[in-house]
Amino acid sequence: MSAALNETAAGWEPLIVSFCCNWCSYAGGDLAGTSRMSYPANVKVIRVPCSGRMNPLFVLRAFQRGADGVLVAGCHPGDCHYTSGNYQSRRRLSAFKRLVEFAGFEPERFEVRWISSSEGDKFAEEMTSMTEKIKALGPNRKMRDARWQSVTSKV
Amino acid sequence: MAERNIESVNKVREAVSQDLLGGRIDLLLGWEKGHYWWQSRPLFARSEEDLEKLAWDSFCAVNLSRYLLEELKDHDKIGVLVKGCDARAFNRLLQDNMVKRDQVILYGLPCPGMLDYNRLIEKAGGALLGITEENGRVILNIESGEQEAQRDDLLLDKCKDCRYPDPAVYDQLLFSPQGEKEGPERFKTVEELEEMSAEERFGYWEKELSRCLRCYACRQACPFCSCRECFVEQENPRWQGRAYQPSENFMFHLVRAYHGTGRCIDCGECERSCPVDIPLQELNRKLIKDINELYGDYEAGLDAEQEPPLLTYRPDDPAAFSEK
Ligand code: FES
Repeated sequence: MSAALNETAAGWEPLIVSFCCNWCSYAGGDLAGTSRMSYPANVKVIRVPCSGRMNPLFVLRAFQRGADGVLVAGCHPGDCHYTSGNYQSRRRLSAFKRLVEFAGFEPERFEVRWISSSEGDKFAEEMTSMTEKIKALGPNRKMRDARWQSVTSKV
Repeated sequence: MAERNIESVNKVREAVSQDLLGGRIDLLLGWEKGHYWWQSRPLFARSEEDLEKLAWDSFCAVNLSRYLLEELKDHDKIGVLVKGCDARAFNRLLQDNMVKRDQVILYGLPCPGMLDYNRLIEKAGGALLGITEENGRVILNIESGEQEAQRDDLLLDKCKDCRYPDPAVYDQLLFSPQGEKEGPERFKTVEELEEMSAEERFGYWEKELSRCLRCYACRQACPFCSCRECFVEQENPRWQGRAYQPSENFMFHLVRAYHGTGRCIDCGECERSCPVDIPLQELNRKLIKDINELYGDYEAGLDAEQEPPLLTYRPDDPAAFSEK
């Protein structure tokens, strides 16, 4: 069908979508950048106000439209800008992670990490290790929308 | 049907007719016989005449509390017959602020479990004309005579694993309680699925979900699906596509189940109402099992005062991902 469905050809690069909370993890990404640390360009960062903003629909939509892995990053527990956003999301996303695994996704496909604004190095490390894990796993076909044309396969 | 049955229907009718005819309630939600003898469908009783149709037998599986959402728009005070699961469903709606306690009078019916027509005809092995019941046994009237079976073997799946047959909330209890039951099999299938590899599990769900007609009967029957606008009908953004493909099936079923996290009362109405037999309850139960494991035992609908697990947290909660 579309290129999206058979992109295993040599040169496949995984697409990682990372939802980062504005106050910690996104700032952590900024720090990684200004400190000239590098992390794979496979990661596309989407900024959310707080990890508590994460609607699991975002994650499933990402999988539908080409993501091979999804990483949600937020402030460390206790440090959420809105006090309890990440305490709430810890429960919600834990249940959700187990549900997507139950549906047949490999555990590596969906991850959650706490990364603070001072942890530029951790940001770079997590993005690198997520990319490597997904590279090893190969492309994700599960839940991919059959009509969706992969962006990565066109470049 | 058996004497005992007529007696108990009369008892129920007596209890509700005072309130309905006396004007204490404007509407009674109960059951009446459907087109076939093995069907009992919801009854919306407003008069003495309507009450004549009242049924309380082994086919009253429909969860009535769900109808409150619609009916409360036109009625000030409604009486509802509640089994164990209808009562838990009522608590669910109460906790979601969809109903107020004083809008409703609940008549509690401790429930012996409802029978599964498919199991009955399987047992009968041919045309089944009707049944009678006696002390935990069911007598099947088949063409060639009679056949006897244990009632417990003929229950609906949702009733087999039921742990709380007695209403958790009521204004009046009409019969003596059944007592709490063991539901040992509840997580059996979930555990079997957990044992599989990710590939096998995906294959299993892809196949099961491939039958989905997107009729949304599971949602309509469900007491936790009480949103005025459901994500599947939202236009902008349009989360749920209409295409017939695995991706959209997973989207609907994962999100439907997920919205019940810590809220599903495990009444099994979704699965019972599914016209294509998708094992929906396994998705719900997976979430119940995980929430219990991670954040402590919680039985949704048993106690309307107890906070649902996703509406609260503890700073030292565990997570299903690495927190290093
Ligand atoms: S603001 Fe970062 S998790 Fe809430």
